Formats: sequence, structure tokens, C-alpha cells
Amino acid sequence: MSDLAFITGTRKGIGRAIAEHLLSQGWIVAGCSRRDNDLKHENYHHFNCDVSDEAAVIKTIKTVKKTLQPIKVLINNAGIASMNHLLLTPLKSYQDIFQTNVQGTFLMLRETAKQMSRTGGGRIINFTSIANPLNLEGEAIYAASKAAVESLTKTAAKELAEMNITVNAIGPTPVETDLIKLVPKEKIDSLVKQQSIQRLGTHEDILNAVDFFIKPQSDFITGQILYLGGVN
Amino acid sequence: MSIERHTLLNLLQTILRELGEDLGKDSLLQTDEKTPLFGSRSELDSMNLVNFITEIEERLSDDYNIDITLANSSAMSRTRSPFLRVGSCVDYIIELIDKQNNE
Ligand SMILES: NC(=O)c1ccc[n+]([C@@H]2O[C@H](COP(=O)([O-])OP(=O)(O)OC[C@H]3O[C@@H](n4cnc5c(N)ncnc54)[C@H](OP(=O)(O)O)[C@@H]3O)[C@@H](O)[C@H]2O)c1
Repeated sequence: MSDLAFITGTRKGIGRAIAEHLLSQGWIVAGCSRRDNDLKHENYHHFNCDVSDEAAVIKTIKTVKKTLQPIKVLINNAGIASMNHLLLTPLKSYQDIFQTNVQGTFLMLRETAKQMSRTGGGRIINFTSIANPLNLEGEAIYAASKAAVESLTKTAAKELAEMNITVNAIGPTPVETDLIKLVPKEKIDSLVKQQSIQRLGTHEDILNAVDFFIKPQSDFITGQILYLGGVN
Repeated sequence: MSIERHTLLNLLQTILRELGEDLGKDSLLQTDEKTPLFGSRSELDSMNLVNFITEIEERLSDDYNIDITLANSSAMSRTRSPFLRVGSCVDYIIELIDKQNNE
């Protein structure tokens, strides 16, 4: 029987690309987003779940196990961003960003790891961004949320190692999705100039990193933050 | 969602017995309401307690369709932890289920 991967934020963007990629490789995929998803595939199962809602997350993760099968891989991709000068950033942006990026990652990780601890282990991949190591101006709150995700990744890796669960994070460079469509072009250009390899990222760049973290031979790799484009 | 108190107590005792068998700790094979779950008189170390609590949550969900999380701030902030003894843990879980039912 194929293994099941749960991916958050599959409605569009990177999460959608990961879902389609794993489906094409024969995985069973369950995914969530706040809104409906038009991704149709016999092995895809959608849940309308806000990752920052504790009760909804508990219900979703337990339902996946009961109605489908236990989760082998969790990909915490759902994330939001907002570009603003620090002095013009509303408290509400801070709250929304931390709720989805940090609280959502934490809740999903907690509930799924409980399940994995009883089913022989698993792999967890979180999403950070090069906005954190590059200290990008205009993205202070977003970068701070990703710094929290990175810290969570490293500590979770330690606490969950004895349960045979690895926890790693991927830090993409800018990739053309809705997340960055409001960011001015000069801003993206100057950002790309700070990368060792100066080009936009693609979905394939990220899929390759996902494949690496979930392949069986990667069971000795945990607590790692993998930035793309030669950022460190 | 509901579960009888004695059923829940039995469930906790079963999980402790299985844990005792795994860990080779005879004192966990026969437990009662007063059996300590943590502190110096408990047979469980901190990781055993994590596994015990996770196991309770998963079995409540799998076997009784009760979906709750025991790591609740109201539990963690009490001066007397509900996880002190088997009996207090049972009471606490019943309380959480009632609370969820009333929401
Ligand atoms: N694109 C980039 O340039 C870039 C660069 C570095 C890092 N990243 C990271 O990569 C990840 C994916 O980004 P993306 O570019 O694919 O973004 P995107 O195109 O905006 O898609 C975000 C996805 O997450 C879902 N989502 C958002 N908030 C959610 C919530 N609270 N609960 C459940 N689902 C939620 C959205 O669906 P709904 O709206 O229906 O909920 C959507 O499917 C994020 O973690 C982001 O920080 C992206």
C-alpha cells in the first residue's frame, strides 16, 4: 500500500505543486487549506482546515488516520506574508502571520507527531524562507515568524528523534506565486542579487528538496534548515 | 462524546500495564486510583509520561471517537497537576470531555 503524505496549503502555489508531484509518484495525499480546492485526483483528499485552529487541526489529523491511513510525511507548507515597513505594520498583520506560520506549524506538528510516535515514526518538513537569514527589510514580521519556525524545527528534531521522526525545514528563495505578487520587482531583483545563484526559484527546486528529506535513506538527517540558491 | 468513569479508569490501567510490560516494571501491572504518575514516587520518567498521555489521546480517539488534547492550558497552570495520580487524571479527562460537549 502507498504511504500517505499530509500537506498544508494545497489550494495553490508551492503546496499545490508538492501535492501534484507526490500524487504523480504514487503517494496518497491529504491536504488542507481554508478555502475549497479544485485539485481533483483519485488519491487526493481535501480538508477545509485553518492550520491555526486547534480544534480543527485535531479533528483533521485524527480523521485522516481513521478514514484513510496514518500519516507518514507531514509538510507544513501553509504560510502567509505581508510586506511593510516595520513602522507601518499593523498589529493585526503580526497576529495573522504568527498564527498561520508559527501556531499552524506547531499545532500540525504536535498532532501529527503524536500519531507518528505510535505508528513507527515519520518525516516532518517545515517551511522557512531566505527572508530570515538575509534579514530582509520590509519583511520583519514575516522573517521573525520564519525564525520561530526554524527554532521549532531544531528543537522538535531533538525531542522527536527517539520516536523515529525527523524534522527539517526548506527555505526557498522567491518563487513566482501569489505570495510575492505584490512585492515590487526592484525589491525581488535586489533580493535575488544577494543569493549565490542569482535567479528566481522554481517549484522543481523545492520538489527536489522535498524528495531528499522524505527518501528512506534520509533517516539520519534531522534538525536541518536547507536554504536554496546558496543562501546561508 | 462520552465515556463511563470506570471504563476510562480501565483504559488508563490497561495502558499502564502495557507500559509496565514494555519497560519491565512490575509495579505498573497492578495500578489503582492512587498510583502516582509523576514525582519521585512515580515509576514513569518524563518520556514515559509523554507516551502515556499520547496513548490515552489516541485510544480515546480510535476506540471512543473522543477527540481531545490533554495538553490544555487549564491543566498546565493548576497548582496541583491533574496528572499527579491515576484518579486525578481520570477526573481531569472527564472534565475536559464535559467541557467540550458543552461548547
Ligand atoms: N513564494 C515564495 O516566494 C516563497 C519564498 C520563501 C518561502 N515561501 C514559503 O512557502 C510556503 C508556500 O508559499 P506559496 O508561495 O505557495 O504561498 P501561496 O501561493 O500564497 O499559497 C499559500 C497556501 O497556503 C494556504 N493557507 C494560507 N493560510 C492558511 C491557513 N491559516 N490554514 C490553512 N491553509 C492556509 C492557502 O490556501 P487558503 O487561502 O485557501 O487557506 C494556499 O493554498 C509558505 O510557507 C511561504 O512562506 C514562499
